[in-house]
Amino acid sequence: MPAANRDVREVIREEAVWRPRILAALADGPKTVPQIAEAIGAPAHETVFWVMGMRRYGWLAEIKGSEDDGYFRYEPTGRVS
Amino acid sequence: MTETCATSDAPAALDYDVLVVGAGIGGMESALKLGDMGYKVLLVEKEASVGGKMILLSKVFPTLDCASCISTPKMASTIHHANITPWTYSRVDQIKKAADGTFTATVIQQARHVDIDACTGCQKCETACTVAVPDQFNADLVARRAAHITFPQAVPKKAVIDRAGTSPCSFACPAGISAHGYVSLIRSGLDEQAFRLVLEATPLVGTLGRACYAPCEGECTRGSLEGTLPIRRLKRFASDQHDKSGNDNGLERPEPNGRRVAVVGSGPTGLTAAFQLAKLGYGVKVFEAAPVAGGFLRLGIPDYRLPGAVVERDIENVTGLGVEIAVNSTVGDPAALKDEGFDAVLVATGTHRDSSLGVPGEDRMGVVGATAFLRKTKLGQPVDVAGRRVVVVGGGNVAMDAARVARRLGAASVTVAYRRSRDEMPAHHVESVDAEKEGVQFRLLVAPAEVLGDSAGAVAGLRCTEMRLGAPDASGRKSVEPIPGSSVTIEADLIIAAIGMAPDTSMFGGRVAVEKNGRLSASRATCQTAVEHVFAAGDAVNGPTDITRAVGEGRKAAHQIDAWLNGREFDNWDDRLPVVDKQAVLARQKAFTLSAPTPDGMELSPNPTDFHEIEAPLTEAEARRASGRCIDCAVCSECNECVNACPVDGCIDLRSRDVTSEVRVGAVVVSTGFKLFPADLKPQYGYGVYKNVITAMQMDRLLAPTRPFNTVLRPGDGKIPDRIAYILCTGSRDKQVDNPLCSRFCCMYSIKQNQLIMGALPLADVTVHYMDIRAPGKRYDEFYEQAKAMGATYVKGRVADVTEKPDGNLVLKYEDIENGGAITEAEYDLVVLAVGVQPNRDAEQLFSVGELALDEWHYVDEPEEDMNPGATNIPGVYVAGAASGAKDIADSIVHAGAAAAQVAAHLERTKTALPQIEMVPA
Repeated sequence: MPAANRDVREVIREEAVWRPRILAALADGPKTVPQIAEAIGAPAHETVFWVMGMRRYGWLAEIKGSEDDGYFRYEPTGRVS
Repeated sequence: MTETCATSDAPAALDYDVLVVGAGIGGMESALKLGDMGYKVLLVEKEASVGGKMILLSKVFPTLDCASCISTPKMASTIHHANITPWTYSRVDQIKKAADGTFTATVIQQARHVDIDACTGCQKCETACTVAVPDQFNADLVARRAAHITFPQAVPKKAVIDRAGTSPCSFACPAGISAHGYVSLIRSGLDEQAFRLVLEATPLVGTLGRACYAPCEGECTRGSLEGTLPIRRLKRFASDQHDKSGNDNGLERPEPNGRRVAVVGSGPTGLTAAFQLAKLGYGVKVFEAAPVAGGFLRLGIPDYRLPGAVVERDIENVTGLGVEIAVNSTVGDPAALKDEGFDAVLVATGTHRDSSLGVPGEDRMGVVGATAFLRKTKLGQPVDVAGRRVVVVGGGNVAMDAARVARRLGAASVTVAYRRSRDEMPAHHVESVDAEKEGVQFRLLVAPAEVLGDSAGAVAGLRCTEMRLGAPDASGRKSVEPIPGSSVTIEADLIIAAIGMAPDTSMFGGRVAVEKNGRLSASRATCQTAVEHVFAAGDAVNGPTDITRAVGEGRKAAHQIDAWLNGREFDNWDDRLPVVDKQAVLARQKAFTLSAPTPDGMELSPNPTDFHEIEAPLTEAEARRASGRCIDCAVCSECNECVNACPVDGCIDLRSRDVTSEVRVGAVVVSTGFKLFPADLKPQYGYGVYKNVITAMQMDRLLAPTRPFNTVLRPGDGKIPDRIAYILCTGSRDKQVDNPLCSRFCCMYSIKQNQLIMGALPLADVTVHYMDIRAPGKRYDEFYEQAKAMGATYVKGRVADVTEKPDGNLVLKYEDIENGGAITEAEYDLVVLAVGVQPNRDAEQLFSVGELALDEWHYVDEPEEDMNPGATNIPGVYVAGAASGAKDIADSIVHAGAAAAQVAAHLERTKTALPQIEMVPA
């Protein structure tokens, strides 16, 4: 049985810390969640929280119709602060 | 309500005919029906919006109507109804029944910290907020912010600031600086905003970033895990980043208000007061007796801890507002400054006089007070200690400063002589430890008895009496007493007396009232002296403290002077919310991942030779990592970004407070709804452990138009799922979890979701593992058959367990009853647990223990459920909706209507016996 996941509250709280790393990872082009996770060295299931939080507050957006083997690709919107 | 209750013997009028507790679909329906009948209804809802769980759903079965589309008109009708008073973000604390059959309820309207009339719902506060927390309205699938609008269809669509109190770090700051706020800003990369947040409290940002003793860190909740955040150094980081940026400080000179205030003394109290008063438009002039401004910051604290250039930069924050600082300007009669055009005067002259040793030989050449010693050093005229043996008498921070300065000036040896042990030293522990690392020696449990001299009259040594510790005294420190007959001599060429500091009031010549202890006489609360236009604050009044307390004194003095000059009552300038309970903060998480604290950054030499700054600044990476360890104790950090972003001045007020009211009503409707079964109580299904096992409520959110993701994605990696399994009866009809009841609507919402998934993801396969499909309502069975016809597969048989594969897929082991009962395995991308419902035990808390009867499953009991639905065991108290047992939406509405009819009948029956309030026709 795998180790328990980190508490959701703890993961979500770190969004601001991971935000610049995610934006840096996307600077050279859109990526899927697993690709972002690999680029920043974080678990994919935690990266989902950060990507979706950033999407909600206008930092990122999915590329419509860009499903790549079942995954959407995300790109920065240009929000800087 | 309390303020309207009659005080005579006559029965008081009712405030409302009915109190409805809970504004889900049942509560809204009861309230609307009663309002339509002309009854005055108070509707209390704990969330910031009415709507309950229904508004969070995607669609409803079997019509597949959009839940939002059919909920929002009812929600709007509810809060705009002429006979309904909706109190959202409120809770009923207690309901008491009176002898006349009426009820008195204590209701707490929690502070939203947003003016509900002024808020436009623009969400700019939410976008700017720096605190991310799980969004409970999206079933924790995504983050929301501490400042937030509950959900997009919220009614009222008004923001709320989620505040649990004041964070321990911020509460511990005597200067009232929002430590949590600037930590949160730095975490978000908003370093300039962090600088400006501290600047709101004091001009001494860089100073406090270096020389504050950081009581915030002592209270940091993270300290009880693996170590505190370096909060003070984060403040220095913000200050350094500001300095590097070349930005101005964002402060503009205000319009002069035509009045002038004199400040006597330019230490942390005087500078902070001058700064705050200048921001209010006062013309401020600071009189400083010394040749430089800054008080103890420039004349006491050594440069290795606080470089003079940092203080000078901080002082520019004061002078930049137009404050004039006159150095070499001694004020002998503060009250007389009124004759020079000052409307008020603040005396903040600090404690610059050394206490004497009080032993024979103290007047020998080579005995110097610590403050005088430090002052000379700071002014570039240091006492010559090169090659000399130095003894520092005392155990406070000033003693440590003096000893470490003596080391830097080349003393042959430096010994601190202190009459108690290290544990009782008033110096901060880190100061004595660092002093020792720099070669300072300690001679403990000795008290000076005589300064010995040579034939030339110079110091030759310090004869001391040896001491021993006794029981703790009133201060909590162990008492100390001399050992009779003992004597020890410490050889010395220079003795620095650091046994205390006191205000120097000699310049006032008795024109300012002084207490017996030599401190200025002024009110601790208002800072006002016996001369009404003269105020006094800081160490001159309180005795020696520290910089941060002195800053707080300056803020208080400025606040009270402004109040006095404007004819306002003096009040408590410190209006922070109560500190949050650290245990409650820690209990919010099941577990914490330990994160190593930041190394202290001290660069100490055993033989220091210069005054360069000994503490390294945090690097940017260190600052981000350190601030990222903050656990947002109070949720809202008070970073003020919401206030700055809000387009409506005054709309957000972090100082607003809960309002408690007592209301008298004729009847009560309990419509507190239900709770969902916590799926992690069925560990064999892996919820909370396997990333792609979710609950049906989470799936409903994924399917809703206001979904947390861009479509239905699995939360483990953001993949569009191809194969989705449902496990019905999770936590219902299950004696293992003590819930034998059927939850009535889980089958139907699962079938609804099956259809919606097949619409949203046409290529997805949906399989439902069930024991029985219960579809007894009108068009329900047809709805089930329709789902099958669309392609959903229904497999009869229990699921034994779920396991996770490395790629996040899930393997279900299940019994396939209709195919011979074989134990079978199947692999899915996503597993949805159709969780059952549980009673909401909040209902019983509304009344005295045991007063409101519950049934054997802890739902609100209806003693005559079949013939008298909605009636509870308490006459005048009725239950509506799922608070009395699992019901789907349609049944909840019917039940709530019945409860409304029961209430109306009750009110009419008791009408003649009750004083009436004016009714408004529907």
